[in-house]
Amino acid sequence: MSRSTDGDEPTVDDTDGGASGATSPDPTLDAPDAALAAAAADDEDAPYDLSGLLVATGTTRSLLEALERAGLLVPHHVDDEGIPRYSAADVAAVQAGLTLLDAGLPLGELLDLARRTDAAIGEIADHAVEAFLRFVRDPVRGTASSDEEATARLVTAYEEMLPATERLVAHHLRRRLLTRAASRVSEELAADDDGLGPPP
Amino acid sequence: MLDLVPDVDDRLTWVRDDEGLVAWGTAVRIEPGRGPERFVRAEAELRRLARTAEVEDVVRQAGSGLIGVGSFTFDADADGSVLVVPRVVIGRRDGRTWRTDITPDDADPVAEPASWPPRPRRQDRPRYAGSSLPDLHWLDAVATAIERIHDGALEKLVLARDHALWSREPFDALDLARRLTARFPRCHTFVVEGLVGATPELLLAREGRSVRSRVLAGTTGRSDDEVEDAALGADLLASEKDLAEHRYAAESVREVLATRCADLAGAPGPRLLRLDNVQHLATTFEGHLDDPTTSSLEVVAALHPTAAVGGTPRGAALELIRELEGMDRGRYAAPVGWTDASGDGEWGIALRCAELSGARARLFAGVGVVDGSLPEAELEETRLKLLAMQAALGASPRDG
Repeated sequence: MSRSTDGDEPTVDDTDGGASGATSPDPTLDAPDAALAAAAADDEDAPYDLSGLLVATGTTRSLLEALERAGLLVPHHVDDEGIPRYSAADVAAVQAGLTLLDAGLPLGELLDLARRTDAAIGEIADHAVEAFLRFVRDPVRGTASSDEEATARLVTAYEEMLPATERLVAHHLRRRLLTRAASRVSEELAADDDGLGPPP
Repeated sequence: MLDLVPDVDDRLTWVRDDEGLVAWGTAVRIEPGRGPERFVRAEAELRRLARTAEVEDVVRQAGSGLIGVGSFTFDADADGSVLVVPRVVIGRRDGRTWRTDITPDDADPVAEPASWPPRPRRQDRPRYAGSSLPDLHWLDAVATAIERIHDGALEKLVLARDHALWSREPFDALDLARRLTARFPRCHTFVVEGLVGATPELLLAREGRSVRSRVLAGTTGRSDDEVEDAALGADLLASEKDLAEHRYAAESVREVLATRCADLAGAPGPRLLRLDNVQHLATTFEGHLDDPTTSSLEVVAALHPTAAVGGTPRGAALELIRELEGMDRGRYAAPVGWTDASGDGEWGIALRCAELSGARARLFAGVGVVDGSLPEAELEETRLKLLAMQAALGASPRDG
């Protein structure tokens, strides 16, 4: 294992990675809820520290540190030594942001959008989790004939619901974006068709 | 006063609370060239003109008689400084209004004051066209500045960035000046050869031996909620980072004025100055010049650039601005105002301004970086300042 918190050398933790280094079962949970908590832990590997992420994304340290401080780059987990770890999905997310910058979106505007998205998504996530617990978990816990049955039903429900929720949110965002874009473009075309001159 | 200006190309204004000067036409255009002596060269040329001119001044107010309205470049090595002696000046002070005509030999007739308010112009919205330095690199520049400050190379640095805009109709300087005056009545609104802005900062006012300077540095937002607004102000007055930033700016002015005014007075700490969209830490200095022949532009030459627009220490800051900023500031963050041939005058710093050129515009915004600054917070501060200026120039992108 190689790990560094300084310098620009790529640092990849090649041990088992994942969330195992950071989380341990909550002894206060009973078996079905413990299984649900384990299922909800993101099981993706998180081999990068900030320097590793820097190299993998090809961006600047000041940008990643700014994103981290602003709470927009959330680590997959913090390891036993207190070092935030990032996954391949984090690399892809940063690269998606860089694609928007390359296309011409100013960083200040991207950060503003990211803060708004974070606030909106955070609220939706709270409501979604609350709905799951109240209207899926509680009925299962109340109707299952055994802990084993409750565990199986909860984990299945969670594993089906998470990707379904992701698809739903992504689809809705895409539809909203495209509809809004089409309407703004036609509004501006109409406004521009007013006899004013061409661009200087 | 702005409504008195006729629809001509060469219009000049320096107005606050509907007092000050509006002028138009060009009797003489003084280009003092480059170098730290550009201020005194401009003034020397104005005095030479005054000596050869026949001046009849029955008003005898600061601002009456032969005057020059000008703006200077931030960088001593840049071209673009100018002092214009206008053909017509309308001045107003303490409710008294006067008119000065300056007529070169064999001059053509000049436009008379407008007798009715201007008709609304067709105005396209301002559209973004990019920045001299992309935001991502500007963020790196701020991070580098913070590192250098932390390492002790300097104490404070002001970093600026710009937004280029375009429109399908030419931007109108007076139109922008009117919007800025309405929005920022406590600021001096200026128009000098395409440079249009509203500055809350008074670099130097001289009337006879009396001089006054108001330093602003350290900024926070405003709130519609009175309690929250007061809390924002109280936080600013208690913010170590903002107080340090202000102290550097105030000290850089105090040092220059104290060597010229034995009786210089200034409050020991800043007070709050509340504007339409922001509140600043402000310190005012007042005194009397020991040498009554010291002119406003001589003092301005010594003051510029103050730590409110350059940094501390000045030399290291200017070097780092050249290294990191990636743009020519032009006349942004530099002295703008007027002087008469006796040396009286009022000079502000061209902040909150746009450089207009036909259907193109360039907006500027800067921030003070000290140890403890965060690059993303500085980026956001400049973004909000640029959006505010863009909104003044026309509908903002988000307004449609």
